[in-house]
Amino acid sequence: MRKILAIWAAKLSAVAGRMIGKKSSSTPGDIALKICPDIIKILSKNVKKGIIVTCGTNGKTTTNNLLNTALLKCGYKTVCNNLGANMVNGIATAFAMASGITGKFEADYAVLEIDEASARRVFAHLTPDYMVITNLFRDQLDRYGEIDITVDLLNESINMAKSVKLILNGDDPLTVQFGEGRDAKYFGISEQVLPQIDETKEGQFCVKCGHEQAYNFFHYSQLGDFYCPNCGNSRPAIDFDATEVDLSGSMKFTVNKSVKIDVNYRGFYNIYNILAVYSALSVMGVDTSGFNSMLADYKPQIGRMELIDLGKPVILNLAKNPAGFNQAIQTVMLDKRKKDVIVAINDLANDGRDVSWLWDVDFDKLSDENLNTLTTTGIRLYDISLRFKYADVKVNNITKSMKEAIKRCLKTDAEVCYVLVNYTALFSTQTTMLEIQKELKAGGNENGK
Amino acid sequence: MVNKELNIVHLYPDLLNLYGDKGNIACMEHRLKWRGIGANILACTNKDNSMNLEKADIIFVGGGSDREQEIVCELLLKKKDELINYVENGGVLVAVCGGYQLLGKYYQTANSKIEGLGILDIYTDAGDTRLIGNVVLESELFEQKITGFENHAGRTYIGNHTPLGKVLYGHGNTGESGYEGVVYKNIIATYLHGPLLPKNPMLCDHILGCAMRRKYEDFNGFAALDDTLENTANKYIEDRFLKK
Repeated sequence: MRKILAIWAAKLSAVAGRMIGKKSSSTPGDIALKICPDIIKILSKNVKKGIIVTCGTNGKTTTNNLLNTALLKCGYKTVCNNLGANMVNGIATAFAMASGITGKFEADYAVLEIDEASARRVFAHLTPDYMVITNLFRDQLDRYGEIDITVDLLNESINMAKSVKLILNGDDPLTVQFGEGRDAKYFGISEQVLPQIDETKEGQFCVKCGHEQAYNFFHYSQLGDFYCPNCGNSRPAIDFDATEVDLSGSMKFTVNKSVKIDVNYRGFYNIYNILAVYSALSVMGVDTSGFNSMLADYKPQIGRMELIDLGKPVILNLAKNPAGFNQAIQTVMLDKRKKDVIVAINDLANDGRDVSWLWDVDFDKLSDENLNTLTTTGIRLYDISLRFKYADVKVNNITKSMKEAIKRCLKTDAEVCYVLVNYTALFSTQTTMLEIQKELKAGGNENGK
Repeated sequence: MVNKELNIVHLYPDLLNLYGDKGNIACMEHRLKWRGIGANILACTNKDNSMNLEKADIIFVGGGSDREQEIVCELLLKKKDELINYVENGGVLVAVCGGYQLLGKYYQTANSKIEGLGILDIYTDAGDTRLIGNVVLESELFEQKITGFENHAGRTYIGNHTPLGKVLYGHGNTGESGYEGVVYKNIIATYLHGPLLPKNPMLCDHILGCAMRRKYEDFNGFAALDDTLENTANKYIEDRFLKK
């Protein structure tokens, strides 16, 4: 009875939230957990084939939702926290919303992305059968402490789920360490693709002996074909590898020398997300023969290089830590059109209160002959402006209003506008962009066009 | 006239590189260059172990994880006497976060006791919780408030040393003492990490000024720079957290 009450309350709260325009997908779960603290435990018992969770600093939403899309395409019924709320309350929301009003709940798979620091709390409610770890980067330090703490938290979580099958990024020494002595498969990119630039390498010291690591080739941050000259720890044998990578047009690569992937995605990091999904499906024993069409079906989450037409293309991208931002900047620079760039930085709880990570981003790379104007905004507009000042990149406009920022860029002669935002600026920016789109349409009609 | 220049030695940026310490180096470098003064950044890494204090006008040591800090401690202990000599002779040393802790006698973690350089008569105990958040300090050195961000588990007891400032908002050295950092001779040691100097241009100029005075007898102050943006960023933090 408590279960049904909890489901009703959660559903009601979600409806009420939508009516007042709030997009929180955590609150309904909070309410459900208050009424029935065992709601996740009870409902997750009805998952028939398996529970798969995805953790990792970057790419977990994309990986998780792509996996969900693939399973749906194969005809399975799933429960998925695809709105990105990834702590205990977000998981409770997903289960409550997937239940009928009589409390009936059935699914073949639970497909859940989980915040690294929350994994042990979530695993107290449910035991995953499969776990993907995408990577570990420096992120939101004020929430997690240091990366060593995240490693400890994840180890503790994995130990709670004894028979879990791990699917790990084999190019990331920090992630590889979770496979030691456990049931693990690895994915990786097995050839040099990008120029070998020197950027902040988080995991530059061998996780086993502390000696500085070396690379046969590396991709970005600490990802690559690593080895320790001192103790011999090295990149493991890769079970699912990508080669023949071609990013010149659409994204092309070959998995295990046989499966050709060809998708219209942007960003090198998406190779890892796709590889993670392919690996997970294979480990789960799901048929991957229609993999390309599964990928084509996927609608990216908002703000993953999301293209919105405002008379000229405006591309919205979420980046919330140095590794993510450096990748976003690289993707922007690959676009050779004349461009305006807007950067918005907030410092609310979900962003991390500490903005010092901005100084670990290679913002100087943003400046080239194709950069038309640069605008800064967000709660920490002065900090990001200062960052650019000391990177010798000229900021043309500092404004508290995202709307003004975008409108100004629409009037320039640049061909495209990129809007790079961190987490809490994402939804408001998208809303602003859609507002402008609406205004443009209305304005167009008034002019009799 | 011979062009003036300062040598800034960045200790182990490969090991202690948390929280954007690069920002502090970039700030010192730019503020010298904008005034026509040369700035040589000499990174001393674990790989080349090139630490040469003879040329140093400013030494900067930043923060890292406990593991990396321990490695740096071991490396620096070999240079202990040289470092003490440098500081006692008015050498400028800026130490942030982990770098601050290792200037003391020791850092007691849950598992081990890391021996420090003992340059300052201070010690640090690890606490159960991390002290995290924005900070606003009132310092006797400046009219302007010092603003920044702290994130540390260590509680640093500074004995009779002079603090960098009084905590108006935030936790500070121990979370209870009401004070933050240490100023001793030309040492500035603080938990305010990462881009401390860009947002506190007066502190940056104070540090650079100390080094210039020590090196050049004829130095008589810096030309003013346009710090509108720096001061706005500083004032924003002050106003946001000190509700009047």
